[in-house]
Amino acid sequence: MNRLNIYIGVGALLLALVGLFIWVPHDTGTGLIVRVRRQVSIGDAFAPSIAFALLAIGGAILLIEHRKRTNVELTLMQLSHSVALVGVIVLGLLFMQHAGPALLRITDLFANSNSEYRLLRETFPWKYSGFFLGGLTIVAGMATLSAGRLQARTVVIGCLVTTGLIILVDLPFEDLLLPPNGDY
Amino acid sequence: MQPLDYIIAGIQEVIFGPVAFDLLGVPLPLTLVMVFAGVVIGILVGATPGLAGPMAMAISLPIMISYFGYNVEALLPVLGFLIGVMKGATLGGAVPAILFNTPGTPDAYMTTLDGYPLTKQGQSYKAMKVAHLSSVSGDTVSDIALFVCAPFVALTVESYLDFPEKTALLILSLSFIAAIIGGSPGKGLISVALGLIAVFIGGGEDFYPRLSLGTDTLAGGFSIISAVLGVLIVGAILKEYETLWHRSELSVKRKQFVDHGDQRLSLAEILRLAPYIGQSSLVGTMIGALPGIGTTLAAAVGYQLGRARHARRRQEGFPAFGEGAIEGVAATEAANSSVSGSNLIPVLGLGIPGNTAAVFIILATDSIGGFTPGPSVFRFSENVVNTELVLVFGLFTAMLFANIVNWTLGAVLMRAATVMVRVPKRTLLPVVLLLTLTAVYAQEPSIETLWFTLSFGVLGYLMRKVDMSPLPFVIAFILGGTLETSARQAFSATGGDPYFLFSSWTSILFLAGAIATVVLALKRARTTNT
Repeated sequence: MNRLNIYIGVGALLLALVGLFIWVPHDTGTGLIVRVRRQVSIGDAFAPSIAFALLAIGGAILLIEHRKRTNVELTLMQLSHSVALVGVIVLGLLFMQHAGPALLRITDLFANSNSEYRLLRETFPWKYSGFFLGGLTIVAGMATLSAGRLQARTVVIGCLVTTGLIILVDLPFEDLLLPPNGDY
Repeated sequence: MQPLDYIIAGIQEVIFGPVAFDLLGVPLPLTLVMVFAGVVIGILVGATPGLAGPMAMAISLPIMISYFGYNVEALLPVLGFLIGVMKGATLGGAVPAILFNTPGTPDAYMTTLDGYPLTKQGQSYKAMKVAHLSSVSGDTVSDIALFVCAPFVALTVESYLDFPEKTALLILSLSFIAAIIGGSPGKGLISVALGLIAVFIGGGEDFYPRLSLGTDTLAGGFSIISAVLGVLIVGAILKEYETLWHRSELSVKRKQFVDHGDQRLSLAEILRLAPYIGQSSLVGTMIGALPGIGTTLAAAVGYQLGRARHARRRQEGFPAFGEGAIEGVAATEAANSSVSGSNLIPVLGLGIPGNTAAVFIILATDSIGGFTPGPSVFRFSENVVNTELVLVFGLFTAMLFANIVNWTLGAVLMRAATVMVRVPKRTLLPVVLLLTLTAVYAQEPSIETLWFTLSFGVLGYLMRKVDMSPLPFVIAFILGGTLETSARQAFSATGGDPYFLFSSWTSILFLAGAIATVVLALKRARTTNT
């Protein structure tokens, strides 16, 4: 992947140009320097401008430094594996965020009731449902991806680990909140 | 208060501070219990390939802060625990390196070169004894350097540097870190710039939160915990897991060797090792005091110097370096362990974190409050008690206690930690990831923070993937706010002088140093490439 450094260098330069000429001027309340009642002070745009300028210098140096040489190997296969890995974590986080309220809604449908998750977030099983399902998805999903197949053993380990974490974090520490209970 | 009074007050703060529990009627100080727990966990974590001290520090920090609360009383127990982990992990890293040719931590790689041949010769117990002796000796030398140098550095900075010079010093530190870490100044600068951009989002003094794209999501900026844990820990897990995916040899059963022969370390051998330990301890201490240069380089330099010495003085019949020389284990372990104390010199003296472990010390003080590492900490005021200085001496006491634990129980704990090598990474890494996310949520109970953490994790993974060190990003993220505040103060103090950074020879010298560091690193990189 001989051109990788060129891509990074050019990418950094482009981002720096966008930052310096579009993002910073249009998205900061004050300019580089502010004058209030004859007092001169540094404005909010100053620090980000320096940061973007530094990014441009870094990109330019990288292009000069060793644009032809890199030992880095970046294959489509590796990236697709990583995308799958991140996908599993995203799925786990989505479960963490929505599984509890969704399960409650389904239960309400069957019980013909109208409960609010916020009021039940401190009660079993709602307190743990999102974290358990999300945690199980992350642990078992990652192990499954790595092993190349779904094994009953992996799911059992996922269940045990997530339950263990609930016991470790929730039981001794009263003030700690498991996701997503802090959001409700 | 006189300096001696501060030292005594610091020791008392640890010994007569909050009590953890009573053991046979004797109240055990909470800080000492936490230091002990930290050392034990550190050794176990260090002995587990794929885990490292910073990971344990990252996971435990938010949980401990949530448990102990955001008050000054929480500082010593939390910092004591983190320091215990830091010291323990360095010691534990030698265990799998010696027994299984697998370094538990990156800095223990050089230990494998002589440690594993010793295991193959049935001398693993002896190699572990050498590693223990050297590691703890190096650590102790480094701590002494910290106790002596940190106040000196801080007082010098406080006496001679004003706002413009302090701003220039921060620029020099960032440029040094960018140029040194990773071997590519271009990538280092990009990493620093990205860290600065990330920390400036949502900040500023105006009512409008800058660079927020008009969204509420970015208006509050990124929390330090999501950025640091995301880039350093989640990024490392993603990278490690990808590596694991491609490696099939992990399923290969490890060879077991049975120890035989005399495993004792004689006085003559200890005396023979002493110059190697001393030399490496000094080298490691000096390297550790420079921000950005870590334990891995210290271990490499210590090993090379040890090898040169050994080649000159080796007697007939003794193994050479790489063939199972106990001097090789001693040189490496003394060097990588002697970084742990001195790398707190820039943290406590200047408020600049030099390596990953130091980042978590800064993160702890930043989260808990009541203690701001930097030159003002060492102000020996006589009329008003400087509580921060008392805390520093409390911290030094905790470090000494950690050393005592390492000296007395370290060897036993190292032997016990051998079981950790058998923990499968495939299961361990997702657990660490889930623990990290839980820890982040414990400190910032918002699911948005978890999404930010994952996003920073992906950034950290990509940085590692393209051989760009994420450490400059993290250090820039931590120092960005201080740098901006310092520049604003310097600008105001000089009456709005646009050339405030060139207002004194000292700041000009620092800025010249910043440029020279990058230019020299660039030259070195070009020479290496050609």
